[in-house]
Amino acid sequence: MSTTTIELAVRDAIARVKDPEIPVVTIGDLGVIEHVIVSGDAIEITLLPTFVGCPALDVIRADVERAAREAAPDTTITVRFTLSIPWTTDRITDAGREALRSFGIAPPGEPRLLQIAVPCPNCGSRDTVLESAFGPTACRTIRYCNACRNPFEGFKPKGER
Amino acid sequence: MSAEPRLALLLALADDELVMGHRLSEWTGWVPYVEEDLAMSSIAQDEIGHARALYEIASAIDGRDPDALALGRDAGDYTHAVVCERPNRDYAYTAARHYLYDTADDVRLDALKGSTFKELAEVVRVLRIEEGYHLEHARAWFERLATGPVDARQRFGDALSDALPEAMALFEPLPGEDAMTSDGTMPASNEEQLTRWLGIIGADLERVGLERVLETGSEEDIGEVLPTSSGASEVSGERKPLRVPGLERRDGRWVHAGSFSGAGGRTGHHSEDFDVLWREMTDLYRAHPGARW
Repeated sequence: MSTTTIELAVRDAIARVKDPEIPVVTIGDLGVIEHVIVSGDAIEITLLPTFVGCPALDVIRADVERAAREAAPDTTITVRFTLSIPWTTDRITDAGREALRSFGIAPPGEPRLLQIAVPCPNCGSRDTVLESAFGPTACRTIRYCNACRNPFEGFKPKGER
Repeated sequence: MSAEPRLALLLALADDELVMGHRLSEWTGWVPYVEEDLAMSSIAQDEIGHARALYEIASAIDGRDPDALALGRDAGDYTHAVVCERPNRDYAYTAARHYLYDTADDVRLDALKGSTFKELAEVVRVLRIEEGYHLEHARAWFERLATGPVDARQRFGDALSDALPEAMALFEPLPGEDAMTSDGTMPASNEEQLTRWLGIIGADLERVGLERVLETGSEEDIGEVLPTSSGASEVSGERKPLRVPGLERRDGRWVHAGSFSGAGGRTGHHSEDFDVLWREMTDLYRAHPGARW
C-alpha cells in the first residue's frame, strides 16, 4: 500500500471509533482527530482532548491504537494527545450533532454562552433553562425543558474567551 | 535560562490544582443536593486533569513521569499554597475558598497566556476555557451567599475572612521569579498579579457590602444588605480598624503591604492539614509502587 492509501485507511478506521461515554458519537464526528502522519512504516496520530481531565482519554487512545493497527497491521503506531490547539465545540460535525440529539443530549449552542437556551432533544421546544453547568461527565450540562417538563443533558458549549 | 525556575512555576501551578482538586473531590456524595454534588465532582476532575497537563510539561524538565510528580514526592516537596490544603469545613468555607482561588487562578492564567514559555502558554490557552466554567460557578455562589439571608451572609463573610490571608499567599513570590519576569516566562510578577486580584475582589466585596472581610476579619457582625433608594447597599454597624495582615487601603484601592501571613507553601512549608491529606492522596501510589490503573 502507498503512504496515501495507508493514511486514508487509518483515518477512516479511527474516525469510526466511538466515544466510550457517548457511544452513538464517533471521535471523527467530535472532531478530535488533528493529524495522521505516515512516514515509512511509522504512523503518528495526534488527537485533541475534548476536556483536559476527561477520564475516557486513555480508553480513546487504546481504541484508536487498536483501530489503526487493524487498518495498517505492520506499522509502528503512536497515539498522543496534544493541547497545543484548543478543542472547541465548533469542531463537532453536523452528523455528530444529530447523533448527540438522537442520544438525548442537546447539541452545544454558541461557545461560552452556557445560559442560552438550547432546543430540548425530546420535544424540540426552545423553552428550556440551564440547571447546572456541570453534569455527569466533564463535557455535559444539566438542563430542563419547561414545555415537556423533562430534565435533559446538553453538550457543554466550549470556545475560547 | 536555567530550567529550574520554570520547573518551580509548573509545580506550583500543578500542585495548587491537584490539592484543590483533591479537596473538592471530598465533597463527592456529600453535597446536600445532586446538581452541586456533580458540580464539585466535575470541577475536582477538571482541576486534577489540569494538574496532569502541567505535570506532563514539568516531566520533560524534571525527568520523573507525571504520576511520580503528582503522587511520588515527599510532602515537603509540594509547593502549593497552604490555602489549598485546608479542610473543606462547611459549604461556606468551601464556597469562599472556591471564589478566592478561582478569581486568583483567572488572574494568573490571564497573565501566563502571553508567556514566552511556549508549552505553558499553549496549555494555559486551553485551561482558561475550562476555568471559565469554574469561575462562573464560584461567582454564582458568591452572589447567592453574599446577598442571601443574614445567616448565609454572616457565615460566608466569616469564611472569606478566614480564607483571605492565606489566599493572598497564592501570589507568594516563587524561587527564581526575577529570571522569569525578565525573560517573559512570567509576563507579570506575582506581586503585580496580586495587585490585579485585590482590585477585583476588593470591588466585588465593596459592591455587596462585605468590605469588612478586608478590614476587620471575622469577628464582626456583618449585617444584612439593606435596599436603599439609590440601589446601593447599606450595612449597619461601626467600622473597625484594619486587621487583615498584609492588606491596606490606599487611594481607594486595596493593596498588598508587607509580608504574607499565609506564606511558605511555595517553599514546601505546609500545615499539619497537609500531612493528613498527603498520606491519603498518595497512599495507593506508595503501597503499590509502579502500579498502573
